[in-house]
Amino acid sequence: MYTVKFDTDAKLKVVADSMILTTDSETNAGSKMLKGYKSLLESEALLKLKAAGYGLCGKTPVGEFAIDLLGETSVDGAYTKDGALMLASADAVKTGDADIALVLDVNGSVRRGTAQSGLISVKPTYGTVSRYGTVPVACSGETVSLIGKTAEDCKNALSVISGHDDKDGTSLSDELCKSALSCGSVKRIAVLKSMTEGADSCVKAKIDAFVNALKENGIEACEIDDTVIVKSRAAWNILMSAELCNNVSRYDGVKYGYRTENFTNLDELYTNSRTEAFGQLLKTAILFGSDTLSTENYMKVYDKALRVRRVVLEAFNKIFGEFDAVLMPACSKMVYTEKDTENKFLSYTENLYTAPASITGLPAVVACGVQLVGKAFSEGALLDTVNAVCKEGK
Amino acid sequence: MDRETLRLLELLNQLKLTEDEKKETFSFFEDRKADSCGLEAIDTSEVERMVHVMPIMTVVREDKVSQPFSREDLQSGAPETDEGYWCVPRVVE
Repeated sequence: MYTVKFDTDAKLKVVADSMILTTDSETNAGSKMLKGYKSLLESEALLKLKAAGYGLCGKTPVGEFAIDLLGETSVDGAYTKDGALMLASADAVKTGDADIALVLDVNGSVRRGTAQSGLISVKPTYGTVSRYGTVPVACSGETVSLIGKTAEDCKNALSVISGHDDKDGTSLSDELCKSALSCGSVKRIAVLKSMTEGADSCVKAKIDAFVNALKENGIEACEIDDTVIVKSRAAWNILMSAELCNNVSRYDGVKYGYRTENFTNLDELYTNSRTEAFGQLLKTAILFGSDTLSTENYMKVYDKALRVRRVVLEAFNKIFGEFDAVLMPACSKMVYTEKDTENKFLSYTENLYTAPASITGLPAVVACGVQLVGKAFSEGALLDTVNAVCKEGK
Repeated sequence: MDRETLRLLELLNQLKLTEDEKKETFSFFEDRKADSCGLEAIDTSEVERMVHVMPIMTVVREDKVSQPFSREDLQSGAPETDEGYWCVPRVVE
């Protein structure tokens, strides 16, 4: 479950995934390229947790640059239990080793893993938690997130890590960051029909159970249709791949990271180092991202995706005119096995459910196996709602 | 996507795919192309690009001279160094 485990006497324990930089242990981002890499600096969010009394109890593996389904492309190997793929950081919380997991949500694996584990996770509003000290992949949408056993655990840790950070150029003001933690009540929830249709019966049952629990708590839930939000996936895949392509261009086998032994000149050093170190999903994502940024495709594909991002946010805001949050699945099924990963690119289709919150930067809370996406800065209210509706995610 | 375009993308990104990887990459590109067709149906002619999801201005920090890490620290993860320099193969014959 761990790439490294620490002993800590701290009352509250945090586990960090391998996208979160730490100075005293390896941060490999799940890639052979960074196997053995030790950072010179520590993640701002982790520093804040440590200052608040949390003790780091371990580092957990992630899939290569966290773009895969559930960590199956990790250089440390897939983490499975009883044949099911599991998110190691979620399992560290579930087994009680850690109270909180500090993770980077890039392409939804955090939310899929949380849904499967029956835990609670919060992907805060973009810009409210510093990304300083994380491995950059898709900077315009990735968010430092938390996984916990209860909504209260998540909210307590979130109150510690949220806030302005001068070192992160996308960090919002303290005032905005703290407003996201305000208590609030969610009164009306929209159930996105277009999103639930493709999910299996088990996921649909989770949605139905959550809707019933909402109603028992006096919260109205109405099914609505939408034709735009469901298109987030295509746009997010373009933006994520383009940003990833640029971000991983820094890995060339010279200043740090893996270096091939098979070269006779500089070009071969670069090419063979990258070719030997990167897995197929990452290589293909790089090539796709590069293609979207080519002269031929830039306006037609990349620029279009940037405009669709605004259309999707406007679609959400229109819904938020009537509702306080949107309910949708976090994944299409509750158990993934290694057989599912025979399709190496499954994460590019399974992110149908996670792309809407990633591309818009809206907060998302996963609990009871389902996902609530709220207005910007409403994560406090989402967590309060989940706290009332489902204790310990069940 | 044709073989020549893929060859150029590999060259540009300093990657080499095996024949099996190429086959799977072609299939991946086809799937993404099918996905993107849905985007074409959305009229964005009057919509502005959205680079940042939040109203973030370019941040310019005060220009302060500092030395947070030593040269030794910065080179501690390098595959090969020599007297404080990063080593690469000879580029000038």
